[in-house]
Amino acid sequence: MNCTIEKLFRVHRFTPNERQREAIESLNDPLFLIAGPGSGKTRVLLWRTVNAIVFHNIDPERIFLSTFTEKAAKQLKDGLQSILGTVTNETGVPYDLSKMYVGTVHSLCQRLIADRRVTIERSRVKPPILLDEIDQYFHVNSGTFWKMCEEILHIEGEEFREHIRLYFGNRSSSKHETTLALISLFNRLSEENIPLKELRTYAEDQENDTFLKVVRLYEWYRNDLESKNLVDFALLQKKALDTLESNNSSSDLFSYVVIDEFQDTNRIQEQVFFKLASEHKNICVVGDDDQALYRFRGATVENFVEFPTRCNNYLSQYPKAIHLNINYRSRKHIVETYTSFIENESWVKEDGEGHYRLKDKDIKPHNQDHELSVFTTTPGLSEDVVKETASFVRRLLDEKKADDPNQIAFLFPSLKNNKHVMRMKQALEAEGVGVYAPRAGKFLEVDEAKAIFGAMIRIFGKPERQEYGGEYKAFHDWLDTCQEHIRGITKNDERLEAFINEKNSELKRCQQDYIRLLKTVTDEGWSINDNYNPGKHKRTLVKTPLLSQQTVKGLGTQRLDKFIEQRMKTGNPFTIKYILNRATSVDWNLLDIFYRLTGFPYFSHMFKLAQNGEDEGPICNLSMISEYLSRYMEQTQSVISGARLIERRLGNDFFGRYIYGLYRIGESEFENEETPFPKGRVPFLTIHQSKGLEFPYVVLGAAGKKNFGVPVVEEIVRPIIDRESEPLSKIPRFDTMRLFYVALSRAEKGLVIINLRGRGQVVDPAFKKLFEENRFPLIGDVDVTNLPKATIKEDDIPKVYSYTSDYLLYLKCPRNYMAFKKYGFVPSRTQTMLFGTLIHQTIEDLHNHLISLRGDGDA
Amino acid sequence: MHNPEMIQFIEEAFEENYELLRLEGGHSLSPHIKNQALDQVKNYWKKLRHLAENVSDTEVKLTLPQQKTPAGRIYTIQGVVDVVKEDEHINLYDIKTHDVEYVKVNKHEFEGQLNIYGHVWQSIRGEHLDNASIIATGETNELRKAKKRYSSTGDENYLLEALDKWEPEVYIEVSPERVQEYLDSFGEVVDMIEEHRYEPPTVEKLKREVTENKSFVDHVCSNCDIRFSCDAFKEYALSSSKGHSDFLKFFNDFGTENELADIIEANLEEEVE
Repeated sequence: MNCTIEKLFRVHRFTPNERQREAIESLNDPLFLIAGPGSGKTRVLLWRTVNAIVFHNIDPERIFLSTFTEKAAKQLKDGLQSILGTVTNETGVPYDLSKMYVGTVHSLCQRLIADRRVTIERSRVKPPILLDEIDQYFHVNSGTFWKMCEEILHIEGEEFREHIRLYFGNRSSSKHETTLALISLFNRLSEENIPLKELRTYAEDQENDTFLKVVRLYEWYRNDLESKNLVDFALLQKKALDTLESNNSSSDLFSYVVIDEFQDTNRIQEQVFFKLASEHKNICVVGDDDQALYRFRGATVENFVEFPTRCNNYLSQYPKAIHLNINYRSRKHIVETYTSFIENESWVKEDGEGHYRLKDKDIKPHNQDHELSVFTTTPGLSEDVVKETASFVRRLLDEKKADDPNQIAFLFPSLKNNKHVMRMKQALEAEGVGVYAPRAGKFLEVDEAKAIFGAMIRIFGKPERQEYGGEYKAFHDWLDTCQEHIRGITKNDERLEAFINEKNSELKRCQQDYIRLLKTVTDEGWSINDNYNPGKHKRTLVKTPLLSQQTVKGLGTQRLDKFIEQRMKTGNPFTIKYILNRATSVDWNLLDIFYRLTGFPYFSHMFKLAQNGEDEGPICNLSMISEYLSRYMEQTQSVISGARLIERRLGNDFFGRYIYGLYRIGESEFENEETPFPKGRVPFLTIHQSKGLEFPYVVLGAAGKKNFGVPVVEEIVRPIIDRESEPLSKIPRFDTMRLFYVALSRAEKGLVIINLRGRGQVVDPAFKKLFEENRFPLIGDVDVTNLPKATIKEDDIPKVYSYTSDYLLYLKCPRNYMAFKKYGFVPSRTQTMLFGTLIHQTIEDLHNHLISLRGDGDA
Repeated sequence: MHNPEMIQFIEEAFEENYELLRLEGGHSLSPHIKNQALDQVKNYWKKLRHLAENVSDTEVKLTLPQQKTPAGRIYTIQGVVDVVKEDEHINLYDIKTHDVEYVKVNKHEFEGQLNIYGHVWQSIRGEHLDNASIIATGETNELRKAKKRYSSTGDENYLLEALDKWEPEVYIEVSPERVQEYLDSFGEVVDMIEEHRYEPPTVEKLKREVTENKSFVDHVCSNCDIRFSCDAFKEYALSSSKGHSDFLKFFNDFGTENELADIIEANLEEEVE
């Protein structure tokens, strides 16, 4: 064949630099890729994979490539499709990527567990059901869990929670705070993969009763999940490791193991990766210790910094190291700024030998212009600084230096309950610049959520307020503002008012009918658990006094009679309870109501804003609400019927348990789900959210953060684990430096560092020094017309479009494509989709079966 | 007569897939709809056994990289197709769960698809190609009627006769000279997607018939959750004789009685807490 990698580089317009090329060509033996910000590591990973598949004949199925986000995995897959497509068209050799392992560690672990190559006797394994973070929260913060807690530990719940409060140094002993504390420790213990027995022995030696209790609870939690075939994220990894360890051939599954963002991996992941690479030793880790951000999730940057030693321990071989040090993202001045920033800290090890950071990175900007591109504000109070900044942003937009506000990102160490953040938002809005800040304040506090949930309170009812304070009170205050908000809307929309009232009375009717039917059942001396026999029960039930027409009809449809008859024939009759619920069910579910509400002008306007790309903020929020509603429907059940309506059960459970839970966990700052950057708005992000991203213009909203000291979980776990780690006392400092390093290195064309003064404002010493050493121009003095314009990157990896699920879908209805494909609204009825997939999959199985029956004869 | 082992294989594979999909997505089908799905697969096997037995490659991924939109964006087209080899005859075909009438009326949609796939297959991969077709496994009116008669009379001949008459295969002409046209149209759509142009279709399009007695509204809008906020749909619904002025009726459209019963039977659990 005449296809060479050089030719592919040309076709796909990629000119690798020397070190990139070396990395692409180094396939065998351990490889340690140190990739500074913007150094093109995604391309390197992409081309290295192409090199293995095309030029070294590696079956894609034998490559394991783990990324930090699903988005990164998708980008790599799209890139591979494109390049391999070129090769196939040139050489006729097809490549099947569907069996390649590309994805987040979690998704890959899920696949590993069910991979028939490693399961016992190649049997089909029922994969465990995954509890994501929100599921895990509701699993722990549940009546069952707290009851078990009392039973196992023989202690009153309240007393136990007080112990936990003291042990973790929390502010409150609420169930919520206790849940978060327990979850963080549980996860960490699982991620460290400490055997339960060892942990128990250790705990018994500690003479700390609370810790021992937590450990006993953790044991129960583990066994309970195991028995229900459930896993949380941390235990999913544990399960994958166990699967691998129980099978001798597992070390031969993959010829190449590649891990991106290795600085943010944890202990058990490290074990999984080395296990996978133990046979072929072709493990490639990519990352940057300066960008390590996820310690609070159990990540240990030492995995990366100490990789050469660990590699030698596990594989008896030191890796080859390559520094990708040319930055293609940022202008020279920006690169120089963040490089000198990180070097402001001493990273020398306590014993003076070596460093806690990889030194000599020698990061060089590709861009060589000498213009200044880092600016600051006049040092001052938040009130003044926000105005100065907002007016600068206004000028950037007026001068068309950015085509859309979403090219200017504001990054903050933290967004919650932060007056300065709110002021910044208001100042921008005063300049006519919209802001997208779903994490500033709680998500549920956005207007879209208040309006939808306000309407739902009117329809379903809400729990009564009790005499509690704190977050409980705040939640009930929020419920009140939702009601006020919807009142403001219905005042001007009689139809919406009428619709809400109608739905509410439908529910009342169902509830009353259910109670009436129950009375008939009791009066007749039946039990609702009796088998339903239409001949015996139907007439009497129908004659129940005051029953509504709808319910009478519901008891007697032909279709139902037929269905019942069938079930009786097969010896599987319904109970009376089922029939009662069926007759008193409404025709709609929560999502149906949501979509109808969005048909009223207040909401339909939001769809219009998105349709022409004017403002995507509100529709992103609506889409998120649809996801929360569907999650609730999955947790409970989707049909709304009599039994769920009596005693306001639905409203109490939905608002009092579910929405309350969301309201409280909404405090987390560190979501890593893919954040949308709606057109028409300036995004406000936490620095964590900005990981891996770049923006033409970046404003660092605060040049310092509060020091919260050493994380408690870190203190608890450190004595149990036995390996070299960064000293506890250094952790807060190191993590702060890394956090700001990430922030500073996101900017392409221009970077503004806000310089705050005044009470309560922290300016980090490293920034003080930076300001002193570099007299950054003030934004007020900058001639915006001279700044470079934001450009769309030419070298973006091309996206893959499907004929049927993109092109045809869009042509059919662009608006439907927008909602369900682009913004990810969750449809209320999925029957058609499930129907189609089921048929296609079964026909595919049939074809494969026929092919295998034929043998390899003519295939 | 139809190979009982194969029917059994289909039933088992179907059940297994259903369970996995249900666990994954948390959604269910009513027994009635589930049966319809199973019937589609069985009918496919009964009617098109010769095709199924000659499938040489299932779910073949075809990729067309380095395409350029009118606005200059680079993108990749991807599609999946089945390949059948029968006595050196090579046929590309794609299975759709629509009924055959829908496919015939909307043939243009599939012409673009199979022409682009055919282009990748022939011109780019340099493989031979004789024919391309769509297999429409959806239940036709005739099949539905025959099934009803069979269930009320027990006479299997009704079914066999209907199956015999059923023509689920729709040939699609592959004409290399038209490929560029289809590719241009694809590129325009990619630009519109990237440029956030998401206006709904016109009311005229909503009224247009997509099959003999079904309009675009019946086919697309009535399954679309966001129709209530859609100007085009609103205009259609409020101007037609049925819905005008009664807005509650407009919002209370939750589907036909049968659809509602399907939803209940799929989702109402025996134990309601």
